[in-house]
Amino acid sequence: MTDENDIFDYLSRGGKFSAPGNAPARYRAEMLRMTASFVDSELAGAAGFADCVNWGPGVKEKIAASRIVLEKLDHAERVLAIMGDFGANISRYESVHPWAARISRDEDIGVTRRAGDMRLNVFHYPLRDWVDSVVMNVMMGNATVIQLGDLQNCSYQPLGAAFRDILPRERRHAELGEEGLRNLAGRGGETLTKIDDSVNYWWPKVAATFGAPKSDRTEMLMRFGLRHRSNAELLEEWRDRMSVVLASAQGSRSESC
Amino acid sequence: MAQFTPLTVTDIKRDTRDSVILTLAPPPQSNGEFKFIQGQYLTFRRVFDGEEMRRSYSICAGVNDGALRVGIKKVDGGWFSSWANDELKIGDTLEAMKPMGNFHAPLLPDGARAYLGFAGGSGITPMISLLKTVLEAEKKSTFTLVYGNRSASAIMFREELEDLKNIYLGRLNIVHILESEAADIDLFSGRLDREKCDALFSCWIDAKNADLAFICGPEPMMLAVSDALKAQGMDERAIRFELFASAQPGRAKKKAASASAADKGAKCSATIILDGTARIIELSKDEETVLEAALAASIDAPFACKAGVCSTCRAKLVEGEVDMEANYALEDYEVERGYILTCQSHPRTDRVVVDYDQ
Repeated sequence: MTDENDIFDYLSRGGKFSAPGNAPARYRAEMLRMTASFVDSELAGAAGFADCVNWGPGVKEKIAASRIVLEKLDHAERVLAIMGDFGANISRYESVHPWAARISRDEDIGVTRRAGDMRLNVFHYPLRDWVDSVVMNVMMGNATVIQLGDLQNCSYQPLGAAFRDILPRERRHAELGEEGLRNLAGRGGETLTKIDDSVNYWWPKVAATFGAPKSDRTEMLMRFGLRHRSNAELLEEWRDRMSVVLASAQGSRSESC
Repeated sequence: MAQFTPLTVTDIKRDTRDSVILTLAPPPQSNGEFKFIQGQYLTFRRVFDGEEMRRSYSICAGVNDGALRVGIKKVDGGWFSSWANDELKIGDTLEAMKPMGNFHAPLLPDGARAYLGFAGGSGITPMISLLKTVLEAEKKSTFTLVYGNRSASAIMFREELEDLKNIYLGRLNIVHILESEAADIDLFSGRLDREKCDALFSCWIDAKNADLAFICGPEPMMLAVSDALKAQGMDERAIRFELFASAQPGRAKKKAASASAADKGAKCSATIILDGTARIIELSKDEETVLEAALAASIDAPFACKAGVCSTCRAKLVEGEVDMEANYALEDYEVERGYILTCQSHPRTDRVVVDYDQ
């Protein structure tokens, strides 16, 4: 019988699994925690974004928002199926949380997890209006793309493959948001103030989804081959990406002025 | 929940001195549940000395062979593999879960792909399924199998591989690497390690132009092969891994008996509240967790990881005391408020009340 330590050594040296049966309990637990966080975030994100469909100023925007809602639910379902392979009780899972529930906008829950709900904390806050939902989608959409970019090479190969399939669609969600943001910025005036407000509101909340710069858990996930890049590296990439995206939206304003 | 189905053993073929190949037939009412994808495995369960054992073995048949076969190599001290090799008879039944696993790539019937397979010892079993299926379905694809063993007598499926080589002449290439026997060419003796792979890739196998690689064997071999493939420029995503069955960790050992002799086998009456309904169940204090007992009583209690991490099974302990084996999920303030992870909790008192609704 192979010792569990041999398996952890195997993983830390780039080894991979393709079957749940190979995973030691500790690995299985961390993987489930990671996937639960993704699934809960997609379910909560979709539930929150569903309201925005009606806020969309035109049919095109409503379609974009609907597509995002639909695909996020589909992503949750795909990853949930993998959790099912690991023994999670899927039918129970789907009905257990009020995914649309939000706290008040001014409450600050930091990084404290809410009881039994693994969604990233950013998804506990409510969206205010169309501008706010577009800004949040741009910011969190880009964060998701960067985070999935790291997870797609994770040591549980079926999960990596699922994330690889999901990644281009999440990227498209962020792009749809960026397109919408450029259009909004083009309006100038009051809308620009609203955009700035939303950026300031969401910035620390989205940044917090990358986790603490020094995290024992992330280091362990890296030893398990479930993660490859540090929280700090991913956050930096997101900051760089945001400065490009927001500058590009600013550009739309100057073009239209 | 995991469903087990009894499969009837219809044939037992002794393959090598210490391995058997079983042919299994699902019951007629299983409705195609045992239809499998190449490279998948079956998980069996059997009770030995009162403890349930689960073991997984790869299916070693092509998807169109019309038979469900598994190869089981006897592992020193392995109860299940020894039993399967020494005692199992034709007509016996084995309880199995439906096929699982993801050690495959979607088939492309019009594809002309170059596959590489690397097997160590009994790691050959899923490879048989893969190469038979791929070579039949993808008429223009080729498969190169590198198969490492201690000695020639340990080679599983030796005859079958020879037959396949004749059927798929020019499309199936097999390289045997034998550890303890000197071959005519040094290249084919020794271990399947990094050095061996580099040597094979430099003169014998075109890894640079391979499309997909499948590796199944012990961990050091798998790492050596994948490192060597990556050094040849193969994309990590094109490399598929499967740890072979005997490498799987067994069931977690029960915590060393800390309970006093008096407590041993002591029962606890637990009231479980879920979805507004209370039910009373009885469980052994030192043997079962609250969650296990609830599930055994067909209570639909929520759970996911069963390892004290995800907190899906969280509940409030309204009355009594429990010991938690591990807690990676609950914050201190939650524990103070009486929350427990039911998957990790053993009752300490004769009566506990656990509420999943709070």
